[in-house]
Amino acid sequence: MTNRIRRTAAGTAAAAVTLSLAACGVAQTQGSTELTDEPVTLRVTWWGGDTRHARTQEVFDLFEEAYPNITIEPEFSDWSGYWEKLATATAGGNSPDVIQMDQLYLASYASRGSLVDLGSQPQLDTSGLEPAVLQMGTWDDTLYAMPISTTSTGLLVNTDLVEEVGVPLPDTSTWSWDEFESWAEEVTDESPGDTYGTNVIYNEFTLQLFARQHGDQLFSEEDIVIRPETLADYFQLALDWTTHGAAPSASTTAETLTLPLDQTLFATGKTAAIFTPSTMITAYAAAIDAELELVPLPTPDEDTTSYDYFKPGMYWSVASKSEHPAEAALLVDFLVNDPEAARIIGTERGIPANAQSLDALGEDLTVEERKAADFAEQRTPHLGEAPAIVPNGASDIETILSRYLQDVMFEVRTPQEAADALIAEVQSSTEAAQ
Amino acid sequence: MSVAERERQSRSSPPRRTRQRAPDNKAALAFLGPWLAGAVVLTLGPILASLYLAFTDYNLLQDASWVGAENFERMLTDGRLHQSLFVTFAYVAISVPGQLLVALGLALVLDRGLRGRAIYRSAFYLPSLLGASVAIAVLWRLVFGGSGLFNGLLGLVGIQSTTSWIGDPDTALGTIILLHVWTFGSPMVIFLAGLRQIPGELYEAAASDGAGPWRRFLAITLPLLTPIIFFNLVLAVINSFQSFTQAFIVSGGSGGPSDSLLFYTLYLYQEGFSSFRMGYASALAWLLVLIIGAFTAINFWLSKHWVHYDN
Repeated sequence: MTNRIRRTAAGTAAAAVTLSLAACGVAQTQGSTELTDEPVTLRVTWWGGDTRHARTQEVFDLFEEAYPNITIEPEFSDWSGYWEKLATATAGGNSPDVIQMDQLYLASYASRGSLVDLGSQPQLDTSGLEPAVLQMGTWDDTLYAMPISTTSTGLLVNTDLVEEVGVPLPDTSTWSWDEFESWAEEVTDESPGDTYGTNVIYNEFTLQLFARQHGDQLFSEEDIVIRPETLADYFQLALDWTTHGAAPSASTTAETLTLPLDQTLFATGKTAAIFTPSTMITAYAAAIDAELELVPLPTPDEDTTSYDYFKPGMYWSVASKSEHPAEAALLVDFLVNDPEAARIIGTERGIPANAQSLDALGEDLTVEERKAADFAEQRTPHLGEAPAIVPNGASDIETILSRYLQDVMFEVRTPQEAADALIAEVQSSTEAAQ
Repeated sequence: MSVAERERQSRSSPPRRTRQRAPDNKAALAFLGPWLAGAVVLTLGPILASLYLAFTDYNLLQDASWVGAENFERMLTDGRLHQSLFVTFAYVAISVPGQLLVALGLALVLDRGLRGRAIYRSAFYLPSLLGASVAIAVLWRLVFGGSGLFNGLLGLVGIQSTTSWIGDPDTALGTIILLHVWTFGSPMVIFLAGLRQIPGELYEAAASDGAGPWRRFLAITLPLLTPIIFFNLVLAVINSFQSFTQAFIVSGGSGGPSDSLLFYTLYLYQEGFSSFRMGYASALAWLLVLIIGAFTAINFWLSKHWVHYDN
């Protein structure tokens, strides 16, 4: 009897050890860079909506026709849940071969050896991309992610609503943050009921741009480096807008922070303007029946000639555990560079990073897509150097930002306190991740 | 064959006895096997693994590295953890008594031989079936949102309000507590069963001695119901410490506004699956086990002083 107990205990311990081992094993297996004629199966994962799933599948069909020995198994989901799923799959040594990657998570995955060096894959042609854009797919000077598309950030304005309210936009080519605020306040005052001028801003992209407008930057390769004063000023904007009425109240903002796009205040015609990545104009246009216009961000009264940059909307990466890195790189090349694939995908993943792919779209662009492309062209003279990507350990910067923003809006913390606390929190997290 | 004979026979041939018993054991094991495999692989294994991980730094992508008690030391200075403890304790302290009082009150009303009791009972039980679901949490957003049903009702009685009750840190937790109290169905059903157990002659005797309804309630119903109250209390405390879904949906997973809905389990989830600090999240899980264990132990210890068992 005791014997049996001992054996059971041993078995349990063995099971536990096996489990923890299984959970820990991230070994580097480097497959061949040569293509094979053997049958190959590639698992590809991405986040997105129904249109993206359908169009991506169409490109896969085309690819499988061209390379009959390769079969593609798609695995797609919504943004929420995507990263949890990917992290657990990677932890279990079961990562998909080709991964749609985001700037927030690139450093986390690259620094932990989970991604293939795409620069050393002869199947992938990177020559169609601007060096500054390609730069934002690198970590530690190695290309771990192929940018799919680029986007800039602008202020998206509901011109129908603005006309209806009767408060015309000032000259937006040179406008300041103060001018913007008074315009937004006036829209709120002149409009009936619960319509507001704007929403508060709280994402990483706008914070980057705001910092660069002040000669500052958000991140270095490894850490958060923004000056607390700059960050406090950024928080102050939100506080001013909500207390002065340019933006909805703190509680309404908090309630609507996590809503899906088509239920946001802007998409339901409750705010006249929203700060957003420029390519989101397509999605908003689908949600609201109104004339939309993209205008540049306001600036402080300083020299801000080259603060702007194009951010890769998303990337394709290849998992280092993939048994077929060559075929995976071939697929990435097809997705980004093939003109036929470009025509199918359109601007669903943003303005193609590859200039030839954009040209291939030509006349196919919708009105909104054309607006986004024109806006990008209009911003080109203001481009500066590419910023450092979000460092390892700071992947949840957007959640942290929105949390401290709420503390500021509900006056739990002053902007300065929130800025200090945010920097301390991100710092301890990036240090722990090194 | 007499008992004595059987005894003798089995004693005289011990090898046969083992042969006879062995197949029984195998069959039992075979039937037990699926459950045993599940318990070991899916429950015990992960529990032990999480105990190990609680003492490591583990980000899911790299091997876990042993850090000793560092995760537990970090808890002392982790402001968000303290906030989540505050939120959770406040939630337990208000919603558990609230829910039990409503459940007991309704059980008393329903016990009075009301016509169509079965229908009322089912109707009151319905929220319990729905309350923990995602759909109801979504509905809660619509009811207590800035342009929600609740503000609409206030408008009808002449109070103009555009406050978002779930968007304001002062009221958000209140709406979740209300949601929990609303799911009073299962304790109510248990109370009802307990009330039916109380012998009617006790009431008759008390009534003939001149005891009014209130006195009868205090002297008979309440004391005899204490085992049931205790049972419901223990279950409710354990359940509410683990509450997750409602806060997750209502706050969109953020624990906001301003961390006012940062339930303990929600914070644990964020640390593990959003910030990829799986080691720390495991340590948090074990702290929760200790907290719930302590509360249950205190409950049982206190029960000696107020729970009356018949025999």
